[in-house]
Amino acid sequence: MVKLPPDMLLRVTKPARYTGNEWNEIKKEHSGVKCLFALAMPDIYEVGMSNLGLKILYEILNRDSDIAAERVYAPWIDMEREMRDHNIPLYALESFEEISKFDFIGFTLQHEMSYTNVLNMLDLANIPVMSAERAEDAPFVVGGGPCVYNVEPLTDFFDLFLVGEGEEAILELSHAYIAWKEEGRPGGRRGFLLRAACIDGFYVPSLYEPHYDENGIFTHIEPLVEEAKPIVYKRIVKEFDKAAAADHPVVPYINIVHNRIMLELFRGCSRGCRFCQAGICYRPVRERKADTLRDEARHMIDSTGYDEMSLTSLSSADYSCLGNLVDDLMYDFRHEKVSFSLPSLRIDSFSVELAHKMQQIRKSGLTFAPEAGTQRLRDVINKGVTEEDLMTSVKAAFRQGWKQVKLYFMMGLPTETDEDVIGIAKLAEKVLDAYQEIHGKRGAKVTVSVSCFVPKPYTPFQWFGQVSMEEFERRQRLLKEHITDRSIRFNYHDAKTSTLEGVLARGDRRLNKLIYAAWKNGAKFDSWTDEFNEDAWRDAFAKTGIDPHDYNQRERGDDEAFPWEHTSPGVYRSFLEKERNKAREARLTHDCRRSTCTGCGICPTLEAHVIDWKVKNDCE
Amino acid sequence: MTVSDVNMSAEHQKYRAEVTKGAGLRFISHLDYAALFQRAICRAKLPAAYSEGFNPHMKMSFASALPLGVRSESEYMDFELKEPLQGIEVYKKLGTQLPPEVKIKRIAMIHGKHKALMAEMDMAEYEVILPYSGTADDVHDAITRFKHAGEALFHRVTPKKTRDIDAKKYVRSIEYHIEGDRLLLNLAIASGSTGSIKPGEVLNVLNEQFSLYIEPYQADICRTAIKSGGRPLIELV
Repeated sequence: MVKLPPDMLLRVTKPARYTGNEWNEIKKEHSGVKCLFALAMPDIYEVGMSNLGLKILYEILNRDSDIAAERVYAPWIDMEREMRDHNIPLYALESFEEISKFDFIGFTLQHEMSYTNVLNMLDLANIPVMSAERAEDAPFVVGGGPCVYNVEPLTDFFDLFLVGEGEEAILELSHAYIAWKEEGRPGGRRGFLLRAACIDGFYVPSLYEPHYDENGIFTHIEPLVEEAKPIVYKRIVKEFDKAAAADHPVVPYINIVHNRIMLELFRGCSRGCRFCQAGICYRPVRERKADTLRDEARHMIDSTGYDEMSLTSLSSADYSCLGNLVDDLMYDFRHEKVSFSLPSLRIDSFSVELAHKMQQIRKSGLTFAPEAGTQRLRDVINKGVTEEDLMTSVKAAFRQGWKQVKLYFMMGLPTETDEDVIGIAKLAEKVLDAYQEIHGKRGAKVTVSVSCFVPKPYTPFQWFGQVSMEEFERRQRLLKEHITDRSIRFNYHDAKTSTLEGVLARGDRRLNKLIYAAWKNGAKFDSWTDEFNEDAWRDAFAKTGIDPHDYNQRERGDDEAFPWEHTSPGVYRSFLEKERNKAREARLTHDCRRSTCTGCGICPTLEAHVIDWKVKNDCE
Repeated sequence: MTVSDVNMSAEHQKYRAEVTKGAGLRFISHLDYAALFQRAICRAKLPAAYSEGFNPHMKMSFASALPLGVRSESEYMDFELKEPLQGIEVYKKLGTQLPPEVKIKRIAMIHGKHKALMAEMDMAEYEVILPYSGTADDVHDAITRFKHAGEALFHRVTPKKTRDIDAKKYVRSIEYHIEGDRLLLNLAIASGSTGSIKPGEVLNVLNEQFSLYIEPYQADICRTAIKSGGRPLIELV
């Protein structure tokens, strides 16, 4: 057990990040359990504590009397320095036990820019960063989360990965581990990994070898043993209504990023936006029943004392029974000071009405995501939203008393021209005009927030090259020049980190040495603008001889194999290709949720189906 | 008539609770400590009274912020319920919803008019435990020198401003005894609307200016009482 020097925590910012003891924390005697599972987020406490997936797994694992699950997050720079100065290894918040004493350390990989933090946390835990160098009694390092659809850049550091949803798989893994341990660890570390590779959804990278052609282009990956499946398909919880929810989430003392209850309405989104990886990877859409959600909401409020609840999903407004659910929740909690919110609004007046109903008092601001500035480009990405839809929605919002509107866009989408970029400024001006039309005077404030597009694996845009950093910056300047109204605020994302993300997102195994070199050079917290160490990465590229443009800017050939195709969400490559071709012609594809199948292949591959209670006539 | 009198309808009842803050929570800030009680009151389903207005907040106040890193055997919280529940009922309901590091020691119904806790208190008492290898005479000499000094300025640096605080103005008494290799100090520090000095700052002054050979950062500091006119605040209601 780790003991911190008495004054250490007085020298760091927000010491409560490191002391645990929160409400609903689960502490178990380690002598009474057979499997110790550390659930880790390679980012700070406030980010890690806000992650719904980790909350769910924490409860599921701890419900098993043989397993103790504990939390660990990346210490902030100041605390890391203190820990290294005093030889304090990374420890878990529940028991203060060293992470190196655990059986598993499971990292959730939410985005590519957190990769160096994984290495840093392993190092802080005194666990060898390279999986090949780990001793027999070292923890198994397992990765999960949205980045598992291309984990090739991380194969040196992880022992195994879980592809897809973890509710069932994480218990199967833990039970397999307990059985292996009780049998006397047959075959040693590799013996267990061979067993794990046989559980659906688990990918053990050391059991595969990639091959490249004479030009250095990836050709195929070869399973080296019988246990290694040619393709590892994602796990999903088919009956999501019956899946366990995080009913007793740990309540932090300090403010965290999402400091509220998260009520998960459904998984998946089938709107089919062509840039969106989540839209493919979480399919099919599976809803929870409204009654189940009502019960959950009651349990969660009772067990936490929170006064705020977010109705969470990839596109919450698409929940089939949303209107009724909101009415019921507001009725259930009418005597309590509980407020409800939707994390994202669909661009229609139904959503605005709902938002109005939910925030009776505070009118902070509404957020819409048109994603692109012109109709042509919105059709390219299959956004399925017209300018008229946006105008109808903002007018409805202005009539209800809102004055602030935030608009999200992406820059550098395939086929984007200067006209599309300038279209963003024009659209923002039209929103200002809409306010004047409603109220007869000016008074609206519009925030335009523009991120840099990163092509992701398993999307119709996975073939496209990413725009160069210089070009992103030129387009950002162009847009800035066209935003002249002082009621419009313009925020944009740093092109430096987005182009690096572009390298890592579609990388292959050769990037392991790049990430290692960058970390050795001091890179960490790469997603934190102030901490991003450009020199560390530039030097890492130089040292390893890797040309970033081979990965981010290069357009992939039609028949080129991708290094990520053996960890699959179940989508047909032919579907993605068809969608890419339709994008080039700016042709739309409909949502399959309440209409005909569009043939993405995920339902047949996974033997699953869409669960939507409106289609099943079970809503009223 | 004050604003709170206007809002307080006939059935509303105010309570004063004496509560603890254990070692495991000593790095939770004062505001977060207050939020902990608000959530506990919600979980306990107590009928909390809220302020009016666009951003209603639970009617709750504390005596004085505890310095970060200090634990406490005696914190004070006044709060208001919309129904006059018996103190014992509030004690039981709230007690089961508090983390193990927070205990309710006493709870009392407030009758009649009372100043805010912050205005009512005039003294806070602390117990300090330090590793110590010197002699009792050394301690005696250091404290005697402090007592006879004209002033004892502590240079306080915060991100916002820098200023000198005279420890002599606030320290009312220092008692000590030695137990093996530990030095125990009991400090009484004036604390109220005219400001105060933190116990850790007093230790620094004693160490740097009066040759008390201690390592202030090693101190285990515990607030033991908050008083007004020599009486614990809980006894005033």
